[in-house]
Amino acid sequence: MPPRLSPLTTGLSAAITHRRLAGVLWLGLVFSALPAWVAFGPLFAPIDQGPFRESLLRGWDSWAFLSFLGVFPRETGIAFAAVGTSLVLSVLLDLLLTTGAVRVLLSGLPRPALRRTVAEGAALFRPVVWAFARYTVSLAFWIGLLVAGPVFLLGKIAGKDAAPNGALATFGLVWAVVASLAVAANVNLRFSLARIALATGQAANARGAYRAAKKVLREARPHAAGLWLFWLVLGLAIQAAFTALGVAMNPATSAGIAALVVVRQLGFWIFAMTRIGYQASLLRFAELKRPLPPLPLAHPFPPAPEEEASTAA
Amino acid sequence: MSSRVLAAAAVLGLFLPVLPAQALPAPRKIVDYDIRATLDDSRRELKGHETLRWTNPSDVPVAELKLHLYWNAFRNNRSTFFRESGGRLRGDQADEAEGFGSIDLTSMTRDGADLLPAARFESPDDGNRDDRTVLSVPLGSPVAPGETIALEIAWTSRIPRVFARAGYVRDFYMFGQWYPKVAVFEPRGRRRRAEPGWNAHQYHANSEFYADWGDYRVALTVPERYVVASAGALVKESREGGRKTLVFEQASVHDFAWSADPRFVVREDLFDPEKDLPAGELARAAKLLGRSEADLRAGFRPVKLRYYMQPDHAGQWTRYADAQKWALAWFGLYAFPYPYAQSSCVDPPEDGTGAMGMEYQTIFTGGTMRALGNWPLNGIREPEMIVIHEFGHGWWYGLVASNEFEESWMDEGINSFTEYEMMDRRYGGIARFPLGARIGSFDLGRIQTIRAREVDRLATPSWGFAPDAYGRNSYARAATAIDQIRRTLGEEAFWRAFRAWAERWRFDHPTTEDFLDAFRPAAEGKLETLFRETWYGNGTTDYAVTRVSSTEARPFEGYDDEGNRVTAPKKASGRKPPPGEKARAAKRYESVALVSRTGTIPLPVTIVLSFENGSTWRTTWDGKAPWLRLRTTYGSRLARAEVDPDRRIVLDANPWNNARYAGEKQGPSAAAKVRAYALHGVQILLSSLWLLR
Ligand SMILES: [Zn+2]
Repeated sequence: MPPRLSPLTTGLSAAITHRRLAGVLWLGLVFSALPAWVAFGPLFAPIDQGPFRESLLRGWDSWAFLSFLGVFPRETGIAFAAVGTSLVLSVLLDLLLTTGAVRVLLSGLPRPALRRTVAEGAALFRPVVWAFARYTVSLAFWIGLLVAGPVFLLGKIAGKDAAPNGALATFGLVWAVVASLAVAANVNLRFSLARIALATGQAANARGAYRAAKKVLREARPHAAGLWLFWLVLGLAIQAAFTALGVAMNPATSAGIAALVVVRQLGFWIFAMTRIGYQASLLRFAELKRPLPPLPLAHPFPPAPEEEASTAA
Repeated sequence: MSSRVLAAAAVLGLFLPVLPAQALPAPRKIVDYDIRATLDDSRRELKGHETLRWTNPSDVPVAELKLHLYWNAFRNNRSTFFRESGGRLRGDQADEAEGFGSIDLTSMTRDGADLLPAARFESPDDGNRDDRTVLSVPLGSPVAPGETIALEIAWTSRIPRVFARAGYVRDFYMFGQWYPKVAVFEPRGRRRRAEPGWNAHQYHANSEFYADWGDYRVALTVPERYVVASAGALVKESREGGRKTLVFEQASVHDFAWSADPRFVVREDLFDPEKDLPAGELARAAKLLGRSEADLRAGFRPVKLRYYMQPDHAGQWTRYADAQKWALAWFGLYAFPYPYAQSSCVDPPEDGTGAMGMEYQTIFTGGTMRALGNWPLNGIREPEMIVIHEFGHGWWYGLVASNEFEESWMDEGINSFTEYEMMDRRYGGIARFPLGARIGSFDLGRIQTIRAREVDRLATPSWGFAPDAYGRNSYARAATAIDQIRRTLGEEAFWRAFRAWAERWRFDHPTTEDFLDAFRPAAEGKLETLFRETWYGNGTTDYAVTRVSSTEARPFEGYDDEGNRVTAPKKASGRKPPPGEKARAAKRYESVALVSRTGTIPLPVTIVLSFENGSTWRTTWDGKAPWLRLRTTYGSRLARAEVDPDRRIVLDANPWNNARYAGEKQGPSAAAKVRAYALHGVQILLSSLWLLR
């Protein structure tokens, strides 16, 4: 990370160079989706034995969709439970792997990416989970204070007999969107910078990490928020583009289905690259505010011999 | 009256003398209302006076009159309406403080004679002594057949906070069924009635209305700031002391509703048949109906359309107008053209959902939300659906004036059927989402129908349904059953009978049997079980392919006719057969498909057998036996058997058992495709959460 680069440039270049790290995040996504994937197997098996096989290969079928929900409500419910499991798993894995990714970015030793990311993430897992707990509480607190509270108050001020969608209600809606974004940016930045403080060893626990994050954020909040927003919008655009592409593919052959899966996973991997970019941007941002001490790796894996050759190149 | 008695009566109706099967050129005018009403918005009160002229349409003298005082449904929590609904209708709860409302007669005279002292409330449906919605008025001297009497009636109404169609919210007022309204005296033969008599029912949680046609002149006095929408045409306007009086007239209707709100944004449009009758639709209808385009076009006339919009939805009036113009075109082609010169659409505010989506003649209420005006929710076609549905009631209840109390399926069910058809044809269904997903209207109605464990008959009085069964039966199940008639008869036969039925019963009061009769000639008996099991029963049907097998046919073995023992040639292992022998020994396969029908409604159904070599074999089964075995010996293996491949059995309780594959599935897997998309959906959800952290 040459020091002359801005956080944004640093992030962009990291997103492209640290593709393997993004691959690790993507693997985490695949792994956490496994419960859902497994549950979907038996759930959708009747499709191939039933009357909707041909039409579903052609595309969307409103009757197949509705009658599936009507005929298999219990099975659908079980699958939803599996999706819930995936959700929990994904939150935990994301905490583990993103933390590990930050450590790997700091170390400048990108390989072996998977083992190193997992090992480094595991070393910091406990404090990061505490930091995340603090993140959830503060997210709920600030949303309550700055979004739900004001919107509720505006409703009270308007009174029971206010016409719907009046000026106050419209203001409330706009306020809710803007304030939610501001809260999300702020809470997110504090958590991410706290994680960086943990990763750099500037703090030993969640409380200290948040204190460090607060210091880094001070006076440069708009800059940090800009970074957050940039990576958010870029990420959403990539998600939207690949979602639209995936739907447009609408495959009718086995090869087509395989291609769909590949394209879609490629999309998630590229999306993961934007998250690596975001973390790298924040690292650079934190570094500019406060020079980072040398990094002792938790598990300094010796590079594998063949990797030595490639990193030397 | 219990539903059983009613169903029996309807079946008996078959043998009773029926009115000549002739359409009326215009409605029979039985009533005439001259109403003056004043809205006191500060007291939430309405004072009214009406001159009610009523003509005895029967051949017997009538000694008493029955009046509907509908707003007494909201009088207290002892009314039949409240007892049945718990003060809740269509998801709207009566306001505890302001949900009550009432209508009290302050005077009623006939030729100066006071009729009030002898009048008494009655509860013909449930004997509830606290209900005040039907008033029986002894007339002093009987009204001779054909004689017209005039009653002078004055009343005061307390206006409820709206939760069931009528009432106020802030400055928005909706007045429906708001004046003392005479019930229907049915002569012998009307709606297949054996003896003449009053048809007057209480206001129930689920009941709607039934009335005779006539002319209305209504003078409404309101504070000047109000914009008034009404069923009639404005003929006079005067102002005095901060109030204005608007006089509206409407001939040949059986209902008169109005609405007032100072915030209404009025938008006007014109349905011009020259422009708004889609040429493609005209051609399609002409072909289906076997009539010339000129003939179909002839009855259309321009209709003035008015939209009384809430300011926060004002922009959505074009959606209302688009839907209404399509409905005007569609109904004009497949039923009959709209006969009135104007139509008004009232857009209730979002905190007055109880007033949304209600039909009255030449006026109806729409329903939308501001959020539905913008992406991505604008793909939800609820505003269009509500307009098509409520304006559609202008035909089913309005012009083909069934008895909504006793046969709710005839207004809601037929109307849902035409609504589904119009929504699917014009908008591709009730909702279209980004990325290609959509929800079809018929599909949505159908799924509500077939997955319910049905306990009721369609022909059940609206207050006689089992809990939660009114809505499903009156709307979705009836619409699906009518669709089943269409799918069984085919488009041409169905629409010809449907239009003939609509034209025959325009300006008249049909019954369930009149509707079913319309399809009997084309059905040639095919539909009787459907009619019996659906309109008069709670029957179901489910077709399924229960078994498919295909095995190599074994060569002849055993004793032949000469008594010789024949043994099958041994399988030549390892030896390649010479080329000629291979051709002779071409393999044949014995294939069996077992198709079953469970449930009580046999309907003719198509079965398709598909073989591995790509050939298919189609046949039709009358479905009368509980099962059918199809057996064939053919030079290719049976790959798949499917019953009802064209999705004609819309009452089929489980479509997922309609096909079965023999052996391993060949080719691409739709399950894998759906699973992949579902996985991606989950991955989108999980990975998008990264953005939060
Ligand atoms: Zn309706």
